[in-house]
Amino acid sequence: MTDLLTARKLAIKVISALVLLILVMLMCSLTGTEHISLKSVFTGISQQGMVNTDYEIFVHVRLPRIILAAIVGAALACSGVVFQALLRNPLADPYILGISSGAGLGVIIAVISGVGWTLWGRSPIAIFAFVGAMGTVWLVWLIGRLTGKSHVTGLLLAGVVVNAFFSAVIMFLTSIAKSQQIHSTIFWLMGNMAEENFSVLWLSAGYVIAGIIALFYISPQLNALSFGIEDAKSMGINTAGTQTIAFAIAAAITAVAVSLSGLIGFVGLIVPHGIRLVFGPDHRQLLPLSGITGAIFLVAADTLARVIVAPAQLPVGVITAIVGGPFFLILLIKYTKTIGWFNK
Amino acid sequence: MSIIEVGNLSFAYSQSQVLRELSFNVEQGSFLAVIGPNGAGKSTLLNLLCGALHSKHGSIKIDQAAINSYTAEQLARKIAVVRQEFVPVFGFSVIETVLMARTPYYNQLGFQSSADTEIANEALAATDTSRFSLRLLSQLSGGERQRVFIARALAQNTDILLLDEPTSFLDLKHQVDIYDLLKKMQIEKGKTIVTVTHDINLAAQYCDQVLLLGDDCSYRHGSAKDIFCAEQIEKVFGVRIFAGAIGEGKFFVPLGKFAKNSGIIAQNPEITQNKKS
Repeated sequence: MTDLLTARKLAIKVISALVLLILVMLMCSLTGTEHISLKSVFTGISQQGMVNTDYEIFVHVRLPRIILAAIVGAALACSGVVFQALLRNPLADPYILGISSGAGLGVIIAVISGVGWTLWGRSPIAIFAFVGAMGTVWLVWLIGRLTGKSHVTGLLLAGVVVNAFFSAVIMFLTSIAKSQQIHSTIFWLMGNMAEENFSVLWLSAGYVIAGIIALFYISPQLNALSFGIEDAKSMGINTAGTQTIAFAIAAAITAVAVSLSGLIGFVGLIVPHGIRLVFGPDHRQLLPLSGITGAIFLVAADTLARVIVAPAQLPVGVITAIVGGPFFLILLIKYTKTIGWFNK
Repeated sequence: MSIIEVGNLSFAYSQSQVLRELSFNVEQGSFLAVIGPNGAGKSTLLNLLCGALHSKHGSIKIDQAAINSYTAEQLARKIAVVRQEFVPVFGFSVIETVLMARTPYYNQLGFQSSADTEIANEALAATDTSRFSLRLLSQLSGGERQRVFIARALAQNTDILLLDEPTSFLDLKHQVDIYDLLKKMQIEKGKTIVTVTHDINLAAQYCDQVLLLGDDCSYRHGSAKDIFCAEQIEKVFGVRIFAGAIGEGKFFVPLGKFAKNSGIIAQNPEITQNKKS
């Protein structure tokens, strides 16, 4: 049985993927409208009394944004994996339980009420988004619980209905708001990266990485849950506990991603499916590899968004959809012949 | 020794009573068939026996202890369940599927030990599925897939095997294969087997004990010999039956109103009467 996944094989794959991620991040941080060289970056802050602009751009402009893209990409891809497993639905994405509309509602409320205060020197929009996202997931979870037995179907329906309802509220608020207020909201809804300060980045990175590690520890249970709750239970899995933990963590890291960068579509859908098509559905492997690949994908997409219409910038959500869609279709056509999860 | 003891078990979904005052024991190493018409509560009983459903009325004891006293993990070491065929949306291979039965035994990192792999391979060998252990579930035929799910249940290393209509979508050969496999597990490994089935004829050929559930909450429990008589089957299923015998084994053919030979039977009611011995 040479094809079985072992801890060693997984470690090799994860380390190779991490090396690739670091290379991509490095390459992308040297790419941009302003050409900078790695050599001059390494010389440090100042060069013979003059400010080293290469270093300034690298450390204070490009690096934070690239780290941000990596965090968001990893979070979205991993929560996509988890929601697809828990809902046993290949079409599930990180936003399926109403996180997008909840966060959107939070943002538009913040914008319309014209919050002027700042928290740690930051606009509180991200905090409104986070609270909106978590509140909505909690609401959807509660409604799903009330529907009782067929928990998964109840959750999905609750998510769809809450999403639709909140979207209507968002549209209503948009239509009564002043136009200059709307611009920033629209940009946020399209998914957009901006330069963040390092304390926010490290905090979010720690949060997301801890979440992914916790999810990795329940990945064998996620495998069993792919066969349905009853089957998993009769295999000795604590299904209720696993589901609750997985939902909570996936929702939390998605909410972090959304509050940092708005709604970036496609990452949570195409990255897990791409990895599944190439490496198979075992969550012990799927989860870490999707996280790293999600990071690589979003870093690359955001770099494209920065340079493609330079000096202007595109919202990265536009790139992920335009690049991700066809890329996914190619994978799909190439691999469905050998891997048949659409046959049944 | 009784490994499953059911006492005065009643169960109702919100409006309809499904089981009423049901009592029976299953001896260790025996083969019980649960038969009855649709809606008689066969699957409900199976779900109660594996802890997927709970009843407030009556008791179920597994290996001398109340079923509620087990955690999911402890119960999974006593009872393995093969449900009606379900193929997950994501393409797991045969060996991955069978190894999943060992999940509660994985090490801290979430990986199987070599002992787990060995147990899974033994289960594959026992069910004659080793040949396609690397194929995906979706690439197998219904009969092969059912054998894989039985292999997964075997890999749990339990004394009790519960099956919900294991042959419902299979052709004749595969039906017989599955029952042969179950019988082999009973004889060679001493497993206690409880299977819900619609196939009276296969049950009559393979099972020791039969639990016949009626849709009016009535039930009969006894040896296959006692329970399987045409009168009993006609009463519970509400259909006329032609009963024959091959040696000791009985077989039953249902006779519909417009079936080709129904005229012959109507004119000669003794054809069915005679065989009701």
